[in-house]
Amino acid sequence: MASPSTSSDLFSLLGLQPSYEIDRAALEAAYHERSKEVHPDRFAQAPAAERVAALSKARALNDAYKTLRDARQRAEYLLARAGVTIGDNERLEPELLMEFLEQREELAAARQAGRSAEVESLQAAMLTRRKAILAALSGLFASGNLADAKKQLIVLRYLDRYLEECEAALED
Amino acid sequence: MLLQIAEPGESKVKEACKARVVGIDLGTTNSLVAHVADASPEVISGEGGPLVPSVVNYGADGVVVVGKLAQARALDAPRDTLASVKRLIGRGLKDLQAVRGLLPYELDGDDRAVSITVAGGKKVSPVEVSAEVLKELKRRAESSLGGPIEGAVITVPAYFDDAQRQATRDAGRLAGLEVMRLLAEPTAAALAYGLDRGSTGTYAVYDLGGGTFDISILKLVNGVFEVKATGGDSALGGDDIDREIATRLVPGLEKAPKKVIGAAVAEARRAKEALTTQSETLFELAPSVSETFARRKVVTRGDLQTWAQPLLEKTGKACRRVLKDSELTREELDGVILVGGSTRSPVVREYVAELFGKTPLADLDPEQVVALGAAVQADVLASGRQDVTLLDVVPLSLGIEMMGGVVEKLIHRNTTIPAGATQTFTTYADNQTGFDIHVVQGERETADACRSLARFVLRGVPPMIAGMGRVEITFLVDADGLLKVTAKELTTGTEASVQVKPSYGLTDEQVEQMLIDSFEYAEEDLAKRNLVIERVEAERILAATRQAFATDTELLDDDVRAAGEAAMKVLETAVAGTDHLAIRHAIEGLDLATKPFAQKRMNRAIAAQFQGVALEDAARKVGI
Repeated sequence: MASPSTSSDLFSLLGLQPSYEIDRAALEAAYHERSKEVHPDRFAQAPAAERVAALSKARALNDAYKTLRDARQRAEYLLARAGVTIGDNERLEPELLMEFLEQREELAAARQAGRSAEVESLQAAMLTRRKAILAALSGLFASGNLADAKKQLIVLRYLDRYLEECEAALED
Repeated sequence: MLLQIAEPGESKVKEACKARVVGIDLGTTNSLVAHVADASPEVISGEGGPLVPSVVNYGADGVVVVGKLAQARALDAPRDTLASVKRLIGRGLKDLQAVRGLLPYELDGDDRAVSITVAGGKKVSPVEVSAEVLKELKRRAESSLGGPIEGAVITVPAYFDDAQRQATRDAGRLAGLEVMRLLAEPTAAALAYGLDRGSTGTYAVYDLGGGTFDISILKLVNGVFEVKATGGDSALGGDDIDREIATRLVPGLEKAPKKVIGAAVAEARRAKEALTTQSETLFELAPSVSETFARRKVVTRGDLQTWAQPLLEKTGKACRRVLKDSELTREELDGVILVGGSTRSPVVREYVAELFGKTPLADLDPEQVVALGAAVQADVLASGRQDVTLLDVVPLSLGIEMMGGVVEKLIHRNTTIPAGATQTFTTYADNQTGFDIHVVQGERETADACRSLARFVLRGVPPMIAGMGRVEITFLVDADGLLKVTAKELTTGTEASVQVKPSYGLTDEQVEQMLIDSFEYAEEDLAKRNLVIERVEAERILAATRQAFATDTELLDDDVRAAGEAAMKVLETAVAGTDHLAIRHAIEGLDLATKPFAQKRMNRAIAAQFQGVALEDAARKVGI
């Protein structure tokens, strides 16, 4: 994810108001419109300086779109923008951690035994939980409760890692 | 798109003349060239129609013949008549083990590239053979357009890797073409369709050619062509169906003379093509070709369906994965576009219709549509026309090798280009002064299973304790797909220079296997990756704890020491095993056991900081 201190604001790059709630269709339309203006192909015959400028603008635009399109990345960006950072080694609350460890073991066992139906039901349960967290985030951002939003995002990271493992198990 | 390591500032596209730029579909079976006249693309025809068979014959007299003329010589001079070289381009011998036995000519070479011995003992490379095909297309275009060709966009399968793309670009250069861009075939097809029909919506492009399979999902809206996701198999195509038919009908064919193999595969292709319009056909290998292998047998469309099924299911798997990558369901697609000669077969069409739950579109000639799209992109690049914007993606993930051989992906597959990513890594060993950077491409979790792109060393890292040295690595991919990698040492704030040495092709890993394995070994990979990560983390924590126990004894209560040592024993046992979860649990256990001690050290470090001790010293004492 881009750090807000080193690049201009991702929302303003796309002409949007910073907000957790986002209209995906409007986001995509804004991205397409701006891509037309800055895409390097348009500058293939332009002087080198213009080509380089277009390249970095297009790159920043692509990165902004990628970040804002995804609810978790968008939420993390909003926090970072407000000066709340989430480190790489943030820990879960002990009881949540225990729960996740148990669920991972359950998943590993199901995977090892090739019980894909069980993997799917674990995945479905986690996806439901993910939806609930995303909904909760919506309320937390609306009320400006960034501390609790951060807690939810730490959970979301664990949860997404778990879902990645579900995906890998189902690829087998 | 092309992935290669580029020196900064390297020029890519020369000023191209607006008038004479072309799009070229360099196919496994047939090739063709197109250009844009009055805003709409047209295929350039020559004698015998627009398609030039991608076949090259090397005569004993040194004369090189391309296309239909070459094809006509295939039966008499199978070893000197080269077809389907697209399957060999950018590949080493190891990559080609599977098809080698069934090729009608001799392959030599090493793990990086192959060569073929033709008439007069002359050795030619797939790059040279492809260049002959490109020269023929160039001649065609020049005589039709009345002047030299100034630039060309050449299409490649979306799923071609770096070595295959680089080799294709070299073939263009060898043919005397200024290669303005390598364009993904399904993207080119979508471009032609979108412009022709003024379409808006989300489309899947199912591209089954002679030797490659691609599946891409694109969104078309107001002149923007956004590739959502792409996937495929760069060694899967109609050729495989031909070989399947031939080996089913002629038992023991692999051991037959090359000439017989060539004739049997050619007859299989003819039979397959006949089954496009007929429900059955006679497969006939005459005794004049071979007494031993002579065959006469009726083949039905039902036979073809059965024999093609395993291949079609492979394409189906790739399609489902790409749908998932683009976060779409098949119901959300507005249509499926068929591309490639192999999609003419009703067997393939029925499979695709069932797979996507809708009748596929094939109203533009599936064999011409790619060249038409390439011509449009050539026109965009040469004229800067404003009505088309192409947003393409990285087909395979790009990353670096970490401690323990695990890959950290910096740019994931299906990221829109141009793209950039920056990540910070810490030193692993005390007083480490150099940082080895190994750039790889692929989906597998371990570096040895991915394609190696480049290696370089960042020197001048100041000696520090492990974990304190921080190196920032930046990947930049431009609109051409060229990758630039830079590394910077952060702790001292100074930037160190890096040397980039391209090393693609050096890995002896089978590309095909690599792609297929990424699906099949996902579980094994993940377990391996987790294990390596946890082990590295465990070793780091064990070392740090031992160090702290030895230096800060006065802060260590007896019961905490006992608990800590017991927990370290547990962790050591876990590290010796292969269960990553056991290691994770033991790490957390050790963490818990030493918490009071860590707290005391932290308090003291903070106190020291307030007393004016340097921050670095404080941090070091805490063992951060």
